[in-house]
Amino acid sequence: MEIKFGGEFVANQKPEEVYAFLVDPKRFCPLLPDYESMQPLDDKTFLVKLRVGISHIRGTAAVKLTLAESDKPKHALYQGTGDVPGGTATLRAGFDLVPDSGGTKVVWSGKANVVGRIASLAGGLLEPLAKKNVQKLIDSLQVALT
Amino acid sequence: MKTKRKADTRGTLRATAETKWVGKPLLRKEEARLVRGAGIFTDDHKLAGMLHIRFVRSPYGHANIKRLDVSRAANSPGVLCTLTGAEVAAMVQPFIEIGPGPGQKVLDYPMAVSKVVFQGEPVAAVVAETRLAAEDAAELVEVEYESLPPVLTAEEAVKDLSVLHPGAATNLLWHGKFEYGQVDKAFAKAAHIVHIGRMHFHRFSSTPLENNAVIGFWDSKENCINFWSNNSFPAFAAQFLSPALGVGIDQIKMQSFDIGGGFGIKITNYPYMALCALASRKAGGRPVKWSETRTEHMLGSAHGNERTFFDTRVALDKGGLILAIESRHIDDCGAYPRYEPLGCIIWAQVLPGAYRIKNVRFDISQICSNKCPVGPNRGYSRMQHLWFLERVIDICAHELGIPSDQMRLRNYIRADEFPYTTPNGCVYDSGDYAQMLQIAKTIIGWDAWKEKQTQGRGEGRMLGIGIGTTLDSGTNNFGQAQIINAFAPYSGQSKAANIKLDIYGEVVVSLGSVPQGQGHETTASQVVAEVLNIPPDLVRVKPGFDSEQNVYTGHTGTYASQFAVTGLSAIHGAAVKLKKEISRLASHALKASEKDLEFGVGEKGPEVRVKGGKHKSINYWGLANLVNTNNAGIPEDLWDIALNCRYVYHAPFAVPDLKRKYGNLTLTYAAQLHIAVIEVDRETFQPKILAYAAVDDCGRAINPMIVEGQVHGATAHGLGAALMETCAYDSDGSMTTATFSDYTPITAMNMPDLLYGHLESPSPFSYNGAKGMGEGGAAPIHTVCAALQDALFSSGIIINDSHNTGDTIFQAFELAKSGQTPPLVKLESRHGAR
Repeated sequence: MEIKFGGEFVANQKPEEVYAFLVDPKRFCPLLPDYESMQPLDDKTFLVKLRVGISHIRGTAAVKLTLAESDKPKHALYQGTGDVPGGTATLRAGFDLVPDSGGTKVVWSGKANVVGRIASLAGGLLEPLAKKNVQKLIDSLQVALT
Repeated sequence: MKTKRKADTRGTLRATAETKWVGKPLLRKEEARLVRGAGIFTDDHKLAGMLHIRFVRSPYGHANIKRLDVSRAANSPGVLCTLTGAEVAAMVQPFIEIGPGPGQKVLDYPMAVSKVVFQGEPVAAVVAETRLAAEDAAELVEVEYESLPPVLTAEEAVKDLSVLHPGAATNLLWHGKFEYGQVDKAFAKAAHIVHIGRMHFHRFSSTPLENNAVIGFWDSKENCINFWSNNSFPAFAAQFLSPALGVGIDQIKMQSFDIGGGFGIKITNYPYMALCALASRKAGGRPVKWSETRTEHMLGSAHGNERTFFDTRVALDKGGLILAIESRHIDDCGAYPRYEPLGCIIWAQVLPGAYRIKNVRFDISQICSNKCPVGPNRGYSRMQHLWFLERVIDICAHELGIPSDQMRLRNYIRADEFPYTTPNGCVYDSGDYAQMLQIAKTIIGWDAWKEKQTQGRGEGRMLGIGIGTTLDSGTNNFGQAQIINAFAPYSGQSKAANIKLDIYGEVVVSLGSVPQGQGHETTASQVVAEVLNIPPDLVRVKPGFDSEQNVYTGHTGTYASQFAVTGLSAIHGAAVKLKKEISRLASHALKASEKDLEFGVGEKGPEVRVKGGKHKSINYWGLANLVNTNNAGIPEDLWDIALNCRYVYHAPFAVPDLKRKYGNLTLTYAAQLHIAVIEVDRETFQPKILAYAAVDDCGRAINPMIVEGQVHGATAHGLGAALMETCAYDSDGSMTTATFSDYTPITAMNMPDLLYGHLESPSPFSYNGAKGMGEGGAAPIHTVCAALQDALFSSGIIINDSHNTGDTIFQAFELAKSGQTPPLVKLESRHGAR
C-alpha cells in the first residue's frame, strides 16, 4: 500500500543550518519516532533501527537510508528500504528549503510503500499510524530547528 | 440456521420398495469418528525423527530477488538445513505445463529462484527439529528485493507492459475461439440485440477447516519418496511430482488420511509436497512436515479463478428467446498456470447453461497476474461461465421487460428434450428445470413475495426477487484436455474399487477415493449392502489414497462431482463380482444350484442360504474359510475364487473432435435452482436476505441426508462468495484479505433460513440413476445477483460483478448519480420488434 505525505513549516534557522541538520544522520535520525539506533554504512548511507509496532505485529524495523539527492542548501532527499515486522517498506522523503524572513520555509513531501503481511493484516491502521509518526517527526524537526 | 421441508419430489426412484438401503437417509458412518475428534488428519501423523519446515515468503507481489542470505538462519539453534530457490532449481525440473504455446515456457519451480510473482511465494525455507525453531530461524533470513510493477487485472495483463514470466514473453498464456451454430445469421434476424459491457466474476476461495499439510520423506534406502498429505487428487499430483523431482512415478508413494474439507483447491498443493521432499533429502533422509497456517493458506495455497467478460452481444427474438450470444472472456489464473489452462475448456461442459441456446461465439483467453495461483474451486470454471449466462438472461429480461421467471421458462431446455445435445456435443442426461422452478416458487411463496414486493416498493423499499439456475456437471472426460493441448496424455474417466471377504468373513471395501467430508464410507456401505442384502453396518470401508495398500487409477481423487457415479459404479461392479464368487462357492458348499440361493443375514451373521426354508446355509466366515483355511477338497474349477474382487469403472467417453472442439465432456448434469428475496437498506445499502429457497436435482439420491448436507454447504459457500468473501489485492499486489477477520468467511450467523426442496431426474447414464453433486456453489451467486438486479434496476444500476456488499452497492449508486459513465447495457430493437 502506498502512503503519501507532505506539508511545510517555517524554521527560525537559516537554510544552511537547516540543511546541515537534515543531512547529518547523527542529528536527524534520533528525531525519528521510536528511534533505537543508527549505524553509518558509508558517507551517504546509514542503517536506522526503529522499535515499531502496530496491532499485534511488533518488533524492530531495520531501514537502510541513503541521501540520494543533495543540493546545498536547497534540497535534500532520502531514499530507503527496510524490513519491518511482517513486511517490507520503501520510502522517499524530500525537503526543499526556501529562505523566509531570515528563517527557512521547509517544504517536505514523501511517499512510502509498504508490502507484505503488515499491509495485509493492518492495512487499515497503517496509513493513520504512518501519518501520525510523520507528523511527530516534523514536530520534532520544528522544535530542533527553532 | 434451520431447514424447512415444504416440497417433495415427484418421487421416482426414491421409493424404498425397490431398494433396501440405497436412497435411505442413513446417518453417516464417519460421524462417530470425526465429531468426537477421533479422526486422523495429516498433521496428527507423527514419524520418528520428523523435522518441521517453515517457509519464508515474499512480501511483494512482483519483484526481483537481489540478495538472499540464509546464513544466520542456518546457524540458529535446532536448524538442520535451509533451502533457497537457487538450490531448488539445481535439484528439480520446473513443473510440467499442461497448456501449449507461451504457457509451456513458464518456469514453475516450487520456490522462487530469482523473481517473485505473487505475494506469499516461498523464497526460502528453514528445516528444524521443532516447528517453533523453524519459525524463529525463518525470521533471520535476509532478502533484498527490487520491486516491479504488479499486474493485477485482465486489462493490464494483456498490455504486456510488465511481464511475469520472461520465458513466456507475454502474460497471455492461452487463447481459443469457440463457435457453434450460425451466429451471424441469428443476429441478422434478431428482433432485439442487447449489448452488455464489462462484467467481472471475482476471486474467492475455499476455506476448508483443515489447511494444507504434507509430510515428505525421501527414502534413499528404498529409493522412493513417501508423501503423507491431504492432496485431493494424488494420482494427478504424482504426474507433476515425478518429472519435477526426477524420479519414476512408481517411486512416489502417497497416502492420505481424513481430510477436513477441500472443495478442489487442495489439488494444487503439490509444490509444497515437492519442497518437503527436497528438504527431507537435504536433511539426510529424515521426514519433514509442513502444516500450513491460515494466513499462508489465504496468501499462498490457491484461489478460485477470476474472470472478466467483455463486449457481450445477445440476439433475441420478439418473445425473449435467446437466438445467439457472442462474447470475449479473459480468465485470470494468477501467477502460475498449474492446473490451468484446463479451466479454458471446462466451462464448455455447460456451454449453453440450462438454456436452448444454439448459436454461440466465445473468444476465451487466459492471462497470468501477480496474484496467488488458482486451483479448482467448487464449481470450477463452470461457475464463472454459468454466472455470466445468468447475468445475460437476467439483464435481457429486465431490458425487455419480461418477468425473470417467464424469461427462464421461455429459454430453458424442456424436460421432453433430454437427453439433450448441446451445440458443442455435450449430452445433458436428464432434468426438468421448469419443474424445479415451480418447486422453488412453491416453497418460497413466490406469489406472496411478489405482492409484498409491490407493496414495499410503494413504500420506497428496495426489494428484489431473483432466480439462479446452475448446472453441476459431474464425471468429467479428461479428453477435453486435448482440446487445450492435443498432446495432453489424458482422456476418459475411471475409478477402481476392491471388495473382499476377509479371512473371517468380514466384508471390506477398499477405495482410492479421497473424501473430505462427502460421506464416502456411508454411501459405499449402502451400495454394497444393497448388493449383498446385508446391513450397511456389516460393511467396513477403507477410503483414502494409499498407493501401496489401496486401489486406484490415474483418475483417482475426489473432485468434479463424480463419486456417486464413478466411485459407486466401481464399488457396485466389485460387489457384483464378489457376489458371483460367493454364489459359486456357496453353490458347491450347499450342493444347490446358484439360482436357488439367496443372500441375507442369519443367526451367525451374513450368509447364503437355499431358498424355501430348508435351513441349508453357510455364513461368510464359513465361505472365507473354504478359500483361506480349510480348503482341501475344493474342486479345481473353483480355484480362481479369491473372494477379493477389483473392479475398474470406465465412463463411456470418446476423445472429443479436437478440430471442432466437439464431444461429450461430462457424463451427468445435476442442477440447482435457487430463489432469493433480498432487501437493500436505503440508509446503509447493505443487502439482507429475507427468504431463500434451494432446490436440487442430482438424479437418484443415494443418501438424501448427505445430499441435503452438501446443498447446505454449497449454498453457504456461494452466499459467502456473493456477499462477503473476496480475495482482494491492493495496487501493490498485497492481499488485503489474508486473514479471516478481513476475508470474513460465512458462518452460521450469516446464513439465512434455507428452504430446501428436491427433484429426482434419474440419469440414464449411470447404473444407479445418480448424478454427481456437491459443487452447486455458484447458484447463490447467480441468485443474489439476480435479486439485487431486481431490487436496483429501477435505480439505473446493472449488477455486473459477482461480489456485492453494502459498500459496492453504495459506490454503484454514487456512480449512477454522477452520470459520468456510459451505460453498461444498450438495447437495440429492430423496427417493429416491440
